[in-house]
Amino acid sequence: MLETILNRLLLSIPVLLGVLILGFVLVQVAPGDPARVLAGPAAPPEIVAQIRERMGLDDPMVVQFMRYMGRLMQGDLGRSLISNREVVVELGAAIGPTLELMLACLIWSIPAGISLGTLAAVWRGSLVDRAIMAFSVAGVSLPIFFICLVLIQLVGVKWQLLPFIGRGGPLWTVDGLRHIALPALSLGLIFIGPVARMTRSSVLEVLRLDHVRTARAKGLTERAVIVRHGLRNALIPVITLIGLQAGYLLGGAVVTETIFSYPGIGRLAVGAILSSDFPLTQGAILVLALAFILVNLVVDVLYALLDPRVQKK
Amino acid sequence: MTRTPKHSVRLVLAASTALMLPALAAAQEVTIVREVDSNNYDPHRSTARAAAEVLFMLGDTLVSLEPDMQTLSDGLAHSWEVSDDGLIYTFHLKEGVTFCDGKPLTADDVVWSLSRWVDPETSSPVAWRAGDVVEIRAVDDLTVEYELSAPFSELLYQLTQSFGTIFDRDSAEALGEDFGINGFNGTGPFCWVDWAPRDRMVIERNPNYTWGPSFHDNQGPAHLERITWQIVPEESTRTVALITGQSQITQYVPAIAIEQLRATPTVEVVQSDEAFWTYFMGFKVDKDVVADPVVRQAMNLAVDQEAMAEDLFFGMVEPAFSYISQAALDWNPDLDDRLLRHDVDLANRMLDEAGWERGSDGVRARDGLELRPLAYVFAGSTWAKIAEAVQADLLQIGVGMEIQAFDATVAWSRLATQEFDMFGMSFPYISAGDALNLYFRSENTPTPNRMNWIDQMTDDLLQAGKTATDDGTRASSYGEVLEIVHDAAVWIPLYHEPMFIAHTTAMAPVVPHNIYGAGLYKGLDLRFND
Repeated sequence: MLETILNRLLLSIPVLLGVLILGFVLVQVAPGDPARVLAGPAAPPEIVAQIRERMGLDDPMVVQFMRYMGRLMQGDLGRSLISNREVVVELGAAIGPTLELMLACLIWSIPAGISLGTLAAVWRGSLVDRAIMAFSVAGVSLPIFFICLVLIQLVGVKWQLLPFIGRGGPLWTVDGLRHIALPALSLGLIFIGPVARMTRSSVLEVLRLDHVRTARAKGLTERAVIVRHGLRNALIPVITLIGLQAGYLLGGAVVTETIFSYPGIGRLAVGAILSSDFPLTQGAILVLALAFILVNLVVDVLYALLDPRVQKK
Repeated sequence: MTRTPKHSVRLVLAASTALMLPALAAAQEVTIVREVDSNNYDPHRSTARAAAEVLFMLGDTLVSLEPDMQTLSDGLAHSWEVSDDGLIYTFHLKEGVTFCDGKPLTADDVVWSLSRWVDPETSSPVAWRAGDVVEIRAVDDLTVEYELSAPFSELLYQLTQSFGTIFDRDSAEALGEDFGINGFNGTGPFCWVDWAPRDRMVIERNPNYTWGPSFHDNQGPAHLERITWQIVPEESTRTVALITGQSQITQYVPAIAIEQLRATPTVEVVQSDEAFWTYFMGFKVDKDVVADPVVRQAMNLAVDQEAMAEDLFFGMVEPAFSYISQAALDWNPDLDDRLLRHDVDLANRMLDEAGWERGSDGVRARDGLELRPLAYVFAGSTWAKIAEAVQADLLQIGVGMEIQAFDATVAWSRLATQEFDMFGMSFPYISAGDALNLYFRSENTPTPNRMNWIDQMTDDLLQAGKTATDDGTRASSYGEVLEIVHDAAVWIPLYHEPMFIAHTTAMAPVVPHNIYGAGLYKGLDLRFND
């Protein structure tokens, strides 16, 4: 197992390097001048030129990238051009809320998706199955911003049940839970669809296998057959999917956090990009890439744990 | 005990119900939603309106301006004198003023704060607003002398802006680079609690505050205990936040939502037409395509500001024909009847007579030069619709304006170049002098004088207005400049944006202030109804 983890970690290094290079190049070629941002709108061109020189922005891109990597190795991500705060501090403040949002989303949507998928498989062809699949297709097809706006309109404005701006505090406080409920619900709705569909097809496949027939023949209750012998074996592809989708959730979080004014890493990244805050943009890209890699690593490890054949390979 | 699915469902339902019970709102706390945050809260390093909004509450200025935007009032100084030559201003500070940390305010803090504003090391983009300072000195603990090398008739008005905020020297020095980022020790009615950039700024009441400007009903302490400035970029979210009571006040209301808010029983919308925030399109007057004053005048006549105000902004803005509000200090009333108003026929006749002939595509040309000016504007819904409306109007007189929009962060650098013929801009001001000295001085090219308006007469008059020691000379000098630039049609004025403040009816009616667009000013009179 340790070898599997180490292998995966080693494979992550070139991926991370690729993301860093791509992120750096994209930020460099994007319109906007960090020296102008720093100097302010009214600064004369000579001041802007001085700042450009001081920041080394006139150097070749390769030189700038090596300098950036050198600082990165020492844990120095620079300072935000806008707030002058250390990028590490800004990222640190935003990671917690995003992790909370991910957790709040996954904690309800994974069980919900698996349950709905299992129900659809068990009642295959029935009205329940069709309703669940229609719901799943809607979750997959509807853009996240639309789901957010509908929930704000219904739950927030019409029924006035939950707040929809900002973060009320840590997840374990009542106010924190109230504020995170709608963003987590919105994000979860796009997550349930693929999980339910994958669970349904996987459970259907497993329920046809011999060992399930044997379990039934032994006289086990249908619930025990489905949960113990069907679902457990059907979960392997579902977990892979959950891992992949969790990565995409980070993308959904960018939109969700912006609409709900939730102070997470997604909103930070959008703000940094829009304000040409290049150090912060690069920091946010790094964190998002790391998160994606980490999620995939966890999925690989879980996969190996659930299916020893993977480990042997 | 075994937990059945029914138990689990009940548990989930109970938890959900508890979550959905509205939190009990604290009696004297408000959340103000706004569109964007400031880059920092250092009065000398940020020109953002978002910074001014908070700084007016965190600190005080030596003098203050009443909501009419004309009358000067007391601030930290209860009185002041100006020497006959207009070079020395003597301010007498109020007694008993303390900073948020309890430390008494002294003249040294005032001297240090204002000296930092003009110190070249600060590189303040608004240092010019402090005048040509020779020295600012403390005469005694409660007296400050402000000495200029040349009179500056606008000085007292400029000192009312947030750039002139006084703060604690020791705290600012201790914070260093983090001043206005991790803390701010001022003498204002509210104190700094916490700032999460791009998310929220929390300030709380300064219980010792009793020295507010005399034009406020309440000189302190503030009625509100705590204010949270919450950033909500989405305009529809801001609107519904107010309707549902998640926010109690905002001045960032989209024009399309004003009527909806007015019709909402729990929301009150107050308006002030003295906001002094004007939108315009400027010409680079030395560019061939717009160098002919007749072309610029015709383009002024072609634009239908009234239709723009009605169709794009639902009648919520005031069509502008003047470069500054006609209610602003030192506006020249002689111009009232001479302002260029929508008249397409006249515009076409003027261009015909000047020899600009329409080509097969309808765009006019003369001596091979086509009337296709390139306009740079800010990206975003506001400027997109304004520029497109202007483009459509200009087509009627055979001018094919081309538009390039840039994100705000890119736009400022592109607007400092000579690449374009026209540009879109909006700006706040407190008086004619404030606006004219910024935009029309030759030395301010290429930015903010993006028109390349280089005119000795204008410079001389601006200097005369700036250094005038009496109101009459100042007003007549600025009045002449207004005449010159209006006659030359250097801009196309578009609209004056009024100040709208929407607040819950649970609060007492709010009187909007207009200084630098910071509608809630010191927040001293904000309170809930009994």
